[in-house]
Amino acid sequence: MNFEHVLAHHLIDEKFFHFMVGPVDMGLSPVILSMWGAAALLTGFLALASRAQSSVGRLARGFVEPAVLFLREESLRPIFGEHTDHFLPYFLTLFFFLLACNLFGLVPLTAGTTSNIAVPAAMAVCTLGMIFIVGIREQGLVDYFAHLAPSGVPWPVLIVLFPIELIGIFAKCFSLCIRLFANMIAGHVVSLSFLFLIFVFSGMSHAVGAAAAPGAVGLALFAYLLDVLVAFLQAYIFTILTAVFVGMSVHPH
Amino acid sequence: MDKLLQPDPGLMIWTIITFLVLVAILKKAAWGPLLAAIEARERRLGEERAAAEKARAQAERIQRELEEKLSSVHAQSRELLAAAARDGESLRAKLRAAAEDDARAIKDKTAAELAAEKNKLVAELRAHVADLSVSVAEKLIGKSVDDGVQKSVLDGFFKDLDAARGGRGA
Repeated sequence: MNFEHVLAHHLIDEKFFHFMVGPVDMGLSPVILSMWGAAALLTGFLALASRAQSSVGRLARGFVEPAVLFLREESLRPIFGEHTDHFLPYFLTLFFFLLACNLFGLVPLTAGTTSNIAVPAAMAVCTLGMIFIVGIREQGLVDYFAHLAPSGVPWPVLIVLFPIELIGIFAKCFSLCIRLFANMIAGHVVSLSFLFLIFVFSGMSHAVGAAAAPGAVGLALFAYLLDVLVAFLQAYIFTILTAVFVGMSVHPH
Repeated sequence: MDKLLQPDPGLMIWTIITFLVLVAILKKAAWGPLLAAIEARERRLGEERAAAEKARAQAERIQRELEEKLSSVHAQSRELLAAAARDGESLRAKLRAAAEDDARAIKDKTAAELAAEKNKLVAELRAHVADLSVSVAEKLIGKSVDDGVQKSVLDGFFKDLDAARGGRGA
């Protein structure tokens, strides 16, 4: 049994069918279905929580409302000030979508959505679009790019500084993508590694493999629980960093 | 393994579409009602707090008014008591003065009446003594003394009497 083969089988997304739109294959895959499943569950849960008419709804609300209020008052209000309510739906959706995808990826038999690099990359592209769109809308096209580099700098420095600032925006989004992807795939890799210990040891002898199994399963379970924590943490980090980057393009200095 | 790090463009596009649709759906289905409910609750709490503060301010105002009224009533009653005491005092003084005046008047009147009575008695006594003396002298002399003599004798007599009384009195 090859660990690399198992890992690739577990993590690489194989399309059910191919559906070419131009050069892009829009065929459905387990990751897309998992993502839709997560999105549908999330929508149902949040719709239930926002009405809060049944006792289940009130229970759901008890989970959602503190998170919403925390994001609004503690995370977004210091960045956006009086514009907070305007940006609130985007960032709340971002946080809960990433959280749903992260957690849904931990459910057995589903595909790890955010541990496939395309999903974090797509979310980073959304952040990039948000940075440019919000920045240009708030300041105007010319002003936005004029304010990229700090004013009052001599022009030879500006020639160097402007590309650096521009690249910086892309680098920020790239780091967002890699951070989320690496954190989420690391959980899968660690869990799989611990479970693979059983096969490594049973390759030596079945008795050693059987003896190693409880320890390996325990460690994998521990890594799994850690993943639950990481799922919340990374969803929050992605959201708050996106808010910070968008906030920087709203208020350039 | 390289495939792990190669993002699939189709999946990226699906993700972006899914996410943007989700933003639109959740904005309508979840965040709108949820935030409206939160706003409503915050507004209700604010209104209740404002109402409670208003009620407390009103209660304090009423209490202050009552205290003011009470203190003014106290002051008024003190003033009334003082006025009554003052009136009583002046009335007493007036009554006393009137009583003293009456007493003095009675005393003076009595003294004057006594003096008048005395003078009358003295005059009567004098007349009586004169008559008596004349009759005694007539009896002694045996003849009537004419009025001129009688008068001169009597005047001399009363002078002596007055002198003697004056000497005794001195």
